[in-house]
Amino acid sequence: MSRFFHSAESSSESSSDEEEELLDSGDEESELEDSEEDSDADEDSDSDSSSDESGKGASRFMIDVSGSDESDTESVGPVVKSAKDKRFEELEGTIRLIENAEKINDWAVISTEFDKLNRQVPNLIRQNDSKTPKLYIKAIADMEVLVNETVEKQKGTQKKMNAVNTRGLNAVRQKIRKNNKEYTKDIESYRADPEEFMKEEEVEEEVVKPKKPKRSPLEIAEAVQGAEDDGFTMVGAGGKAMQYTPESILKHLRTIVESRGRKNTDRVEQTRVMEKLFDVAVTDYQRIRVLLTLISTRFDSSSVSGSQMSQEQWKLAQQEFSKLLDILESNKDIVVIEGAEEWEDDDKLPTITPGEIFKVPGSVVSSVERLDDELTRSLQTIDPHTAEYVERLTDEASLYGSIVRASLYVEGLQKNPELRVSQEVANRVVMRRLEHMYFKPSQVIELLEENTWKSIDSKRDSQITPRSSAKDSTTLVQSLCTYLFEKSEGIIRARAMLCQIYFLALHDHYYRARDMMLMSHLQETIGNFDVNSQILFNRALVQVGLCAFRAGLVYEAQNSLQEICGSNRQKELLAQGLQMQRYSQISPEQERLERQRQLPFHMHINLELLECVYLTCSMLLEIPLLAQIGSSPDIRKRVISKTYRRLLEYHERQIFTGPPENTRDHVMQASKALAAGEWKKSAEFINSIKIWELMAQSEKIKEMLSAQIQEEGLRTYLFTYAPFYDTLSVTTLASMFELTERKVAAVVSKMISHEELAAALDQVNSVVIFRKGVELSRLQSLALTLSDKASGLIESNEKTLEQRTQGTAHAFERQGGPGGRGGRGGRGGQRGGRGGGRGGGQHRPGGQQFTGGALGRAIQA
Amino acid sequence: MADDLAAEYDLLPKMIPNLDRHLIYPLLQFIAGPEDEQTTEMKQMRFNLLKATNMIDYVGQLDAEVNNLPQVPAEYTKKREQILKKRDELEAATERISELLNDEAVVNNLRSDKVANMSYLKENHQVTEEMVNSLYEYGNFQYTCGSYGDASELLYRFRVLSTDNDKVGEATWGKLASEILSVQWEPAMEEIQKVKENIDTRLFNAPLDQLKHRTWLIHWSLFPFFNYEPARDVLTDLFFSQPFINTIQTSCPWILRYLAAAVITNRQRSRNSNQYQKQLKDLVRIVKQEGYEYADPLTDFVRALYIDFDFEEAQKKLGEAEEVLKNDFFLVATAESFVDSARHLISESYCKIHQRIDIKDLSTRLGLSQDEGEKWIVNLIRDTRVDAKIDYQQGTVVMNHPPQSVYQQVIERTKGGFFRTQVLSAAVAK
Repeated sequence: MSRFFHSAESSSESSSDEEEELLDSGDEESELEDSEEDSDADEDSDSDSSSDESGKGASRFMIDVSGSDESDTESVGPVVKSAKDKRFEELEGTIRLIENAEKINDWAVISTEFDKLNRQVPNLIRQNDSKTPKLYIKAIADMEVLVNETVEKQKGTQKKMNAVNTRGLNAVRQKIRKNNKEYTKDIESYRADPEEFMKEEEVEEEVVKPKKPKRSPLEIAEAVQGAEDDGFTMVGAGGKAMQYTPESILKHLRTIVESRGRKNTDRVEQTRVMEKLFDVAVTDYQRIRVLLTLISTRFDSSSVSGSQMSQEQWKLAQQEFSKLLDILESNKDIVVIEGAEEWEDDDKLPTITPGEIFKVPGSVVSSVERLDDELTRSLQTIDPHTAEYVERLTDEASLYGSIVRASLYVEGLQKNPELRVSQEVANRVVMRRLEHMYFKPSQVIELLEENTWKSIDSKRDSQITPRSSAKDSTTLVQSLCTYLFEKSEGIIRARAMLCQIYFLALHDHYYRARDMMLMSHLQETIGNFDVNSQILFNRALVQVGLCAFRAGLVYEAQNSLQEICGSNRQKELLAQGLQMQRYSQISPEQERLERQRQLPFHMHINLELLECVYLTCSMLLEIPLLAQIGSSPDIRKRVISKTYRRLLEYHERQIFTGPPENTRDHVMQASKALAAGEWKKSAEFINSIKIWELMAQSEKIKEMLSAQIQEEGLRTYLFTYAPFYDTLSVTTLASMFELTERKVAAVVSKMISHEELAAALDQVNSVVIFRKGVELSRLQSLALTLSDKASGLIESNEKTLEQRTQGTAHAFERQGGPGGRGGRGGRGGQRGGRGGGRGGGQHRPGGQQFTGGALGRAIQA
Repeated sequence: MADDLAAEYDLLPKMIPNLDRHLIYPLLQFIAGPEDEQTTEMKQMRFNLLKATNMIDYVGQLDAEVNNLPQVPAEYTKKREQILKKRDELEAATERISELLNDEAVVNNLRSDKVANMSYLKENHQVTEEMVNSLYEYGNFQYTCGSYGDASELLYRFRVLSTDNDKVGEATWGKLASEILSVQWEPAMEEIQKVKENIDTRLFNAPLDQLKHRTWLIHWSLFPFFNYEPARDVLTDLFFSQPFINTIQTSCPWILRYLAAAVITNRQRSRNSNQYQKQLKDLVRIVKQEGYEYADPLTDFVRALYIDFDFEEAQKKLGEAEEVLKNDFFLVATAESFVDSARHLISESYCKIHQRIDIKDLSTRLGLSQDEGEKWIVNLIRDTRVDAKIDYQQGTVVMNHPPQSVYQQVIERTKGGFFRTQVLSAAVAK
């Protein structure tokens, strides 16, 4: 132990004039601060990487040694002893060199040696139970003094040193100041009493010794084996010998964080290290820090490779996340919050006084969002028809639990106004929660909620969604949405609205869903939103359509499905798979983006069912219309669904039609039957479609469809066969279509009143009398067409002028005006102009239209 | 049965939140029936209603009646004194300005510019802002005391002078209530117009407030709507205007009952059948749209007649509607004319659809005896100039529906073309 005494002598000299120097150094520090900061960053990275390299070289032969050297303090095996001592000797040598150079004022040498010194130290620290060698402290403390002195002297004498020297001096000065900061405590205690400080060392070492396992030199073989074991876990990233103690945790974390994003960083290794660190961690603060870093490192593992996270990694991350929340929930003094200041001092733990809040930088919400994203990504890639998908899907429940807990946590933070948690964070997490809920049937949600709340401490409750409300999914969704309506704006609010619309539509609240859809005025602005929101809009729109269908509102259903289903790009618009186009101009880049947008399978809306509903609705509307047009050629133009017409034409062109195979065939054959007035056959075709089984209460839907087909069949029949009859008995009609006479009379009355049918009822004999002489000659119908076209021309002229003058020309103000409430009532006005048009457009007036769905152009963008 | 119906479709609970205390009073009075048959419960209700007002004498009396006290409790005397004192104070505060406004010389110097008026009064007569504001307070006070005439006068004066727009708005509401309660329909209509403009201009940026204010205005204007003939057309138009019909649809669909009643009864008065047809069409559309949210016998009647073409149902609903009308404060007076008009509507659309009708059958549909029915049909044929003849032997009416000639149709369609083109070319030439 002689080496300690050796240097102690020289220090006594310098320590005497310490006091004077201290004062001066304070002033100077501020002067040099600027230049320091610049060089800081560079130096940091330099020294890190260099230490890595040097470590690597040594490690090759150090592996088994490093483990064993602990045990060897007792047994004085010469070889083993030198491993540690060699380092010390090296250190000593360097220090001596520095001292020599100091004497001759050769700052260039000092600078290089100092760098070397610093490089040696970390290794020593690691070997020395993460204590800094006293020798080193002494050296740097002395150097600081000397540097300051020299600088002072320089100023005093005005005599210049040569350039190399000056540069060296400045370099050392800067480095030293920075370096010494880390060891301030040690240096201070050294300065206070150098002798005592050096002595302490010995005492400490004495204390440490007995703890270590005693091994006789004879048992070396065993020791080596044990060392291998130990050594294996202890060797850190890059092969450096590592030791994990509660004190060093923060330092380890820092190195890990710093290596983040670099090449050649072994993440698996890092996570392993951190798992270890978590086990060693004593205080909550340490645990929180470790967990935060660990979770983000786990996420890194996926982002680089471009693939999704593996399931184990995800699960581990999820578990760690709940551990983090456990700690945070139990320890109210530490909060994890975005934008908190980082704790710079790696050696010391911050003192956390109970009752006061200590902030740790990080974000609970971002982590949970990331978890969510990762799960979605992996669900996107797994084949939905495998057991794996189902298995993976079960993770959603635990994820949902995490989301709820995170939301609770944020809510808790918000209660403390000092923390200034931004509302946006809370909104984000609530939105996530909503997005996991809106597409699920209420039973599923209720089950999910129940399990979630079970896993959460019974004392905790939420303001936004009280525990008690978990039983009723409707109020739950309602309260989440209301929360977002109130607190958020822009895109989140719109999304919340769409989610609620979707949810309402899914649960058969057609009118509420429709009113929300219309009153939100989203169809006007949806084009400006991001693609994902547009997809959500499309989904909501489709769901509203399906809901209308279930409620028996064929016209409304067709109307809202038209936009999506009529486009022939359902898959793309709903993000449920890529549309294979023969002449696609989609670049690989676009395709990749599109792939990313895909919804996981369990969120899909059944496309076949959708098509089936759409075609059936179109049939019910189109067939009577076609029949009507057939009898009066002047209104040939009106087409409700182009897709349906095309299919129908295609079907009619076929030479041989076999029995129906798929949904489309069924609907087409049903259409044919309906057009021929054979409603029973038509209903049979429709009802034999298998896919209705997928809808809730399929029996009721079939009944509804049969009733609709009966009525439309009657209408079609009347349109088609009116020219061939003089009178028709209501009773006959009633028996033909199996309707009550009252119903038949009502239908006929309606048609007469809307001027669709040139007929009148005879109450006495209860017959329908068709009026004669209404068939138009060719000239007459052409004259009508001409007059129509003329008025159309005028109208379009007016419109053009109106646009030119930007609505200033009041002469052309249209009746009806801008519909104040979405589509409601917008139609009445335009109809007025046509007035006398016989049988033209009076069919079901005053409906509401959903217009302007998110069109494909946005998707292409 | 009738009582049940009336109770089922009683709108009072829905209306009350949208009316002022003083405006509710006549409604309560109406359902309570004549003074001597009133139950204690009814009185209690009225007592609670008026407790917060300053109509101490009446409240005291009610209290005594409710609690069977021999005389009015002493606290009311005390309160009365306080109120009288307050009134004196306010009167003193407004004395000067009232005098000024009674002085013709001063009034003649006032212009339409409020700011100029104010500075004129300030300079020449030492009128301050506070004095003007005390006019408002005094008006408010008078209103709560139940002297609506005075209140309306005071508020009018306040409005003339004040530059505080919010208070002017409130004063307008106050004046409207005063006019309604003092049965001054003409000024009330003016106030409605003012309030409407106020809502349109001042609350432009607050859609929610707009909605709320419009809802109130709709409810308040029901008073003149059914009590003052000339108001009917104006208000029907107002209710059908885009912002108001939206308000009705969103926040108070029960108003559809009144709208339906108004439209249907309008038939007799307005000879302008075009406008009538348009209103009817609008009504049908809205009733259909709101069917899921609100239904009562009146809207059901419209629905049965014009949407489902179910005449039997329409007849049934007409009977129910009559009951409902008789139990509605606003509509009680129009019940008869409503039934009459409704019958017209039924037979009109019935005739339109049928070629031959059995008189007996039609009479039962209209709820009339056969002789009455015959008379009715004759009148109908005469009134509406339907091309129809009664076949007495068979007891039927035979309608003749000549199809609209194609030439007529072509003329119809091209009618406006020339005029529109002219306007167009004029606009282009500009």
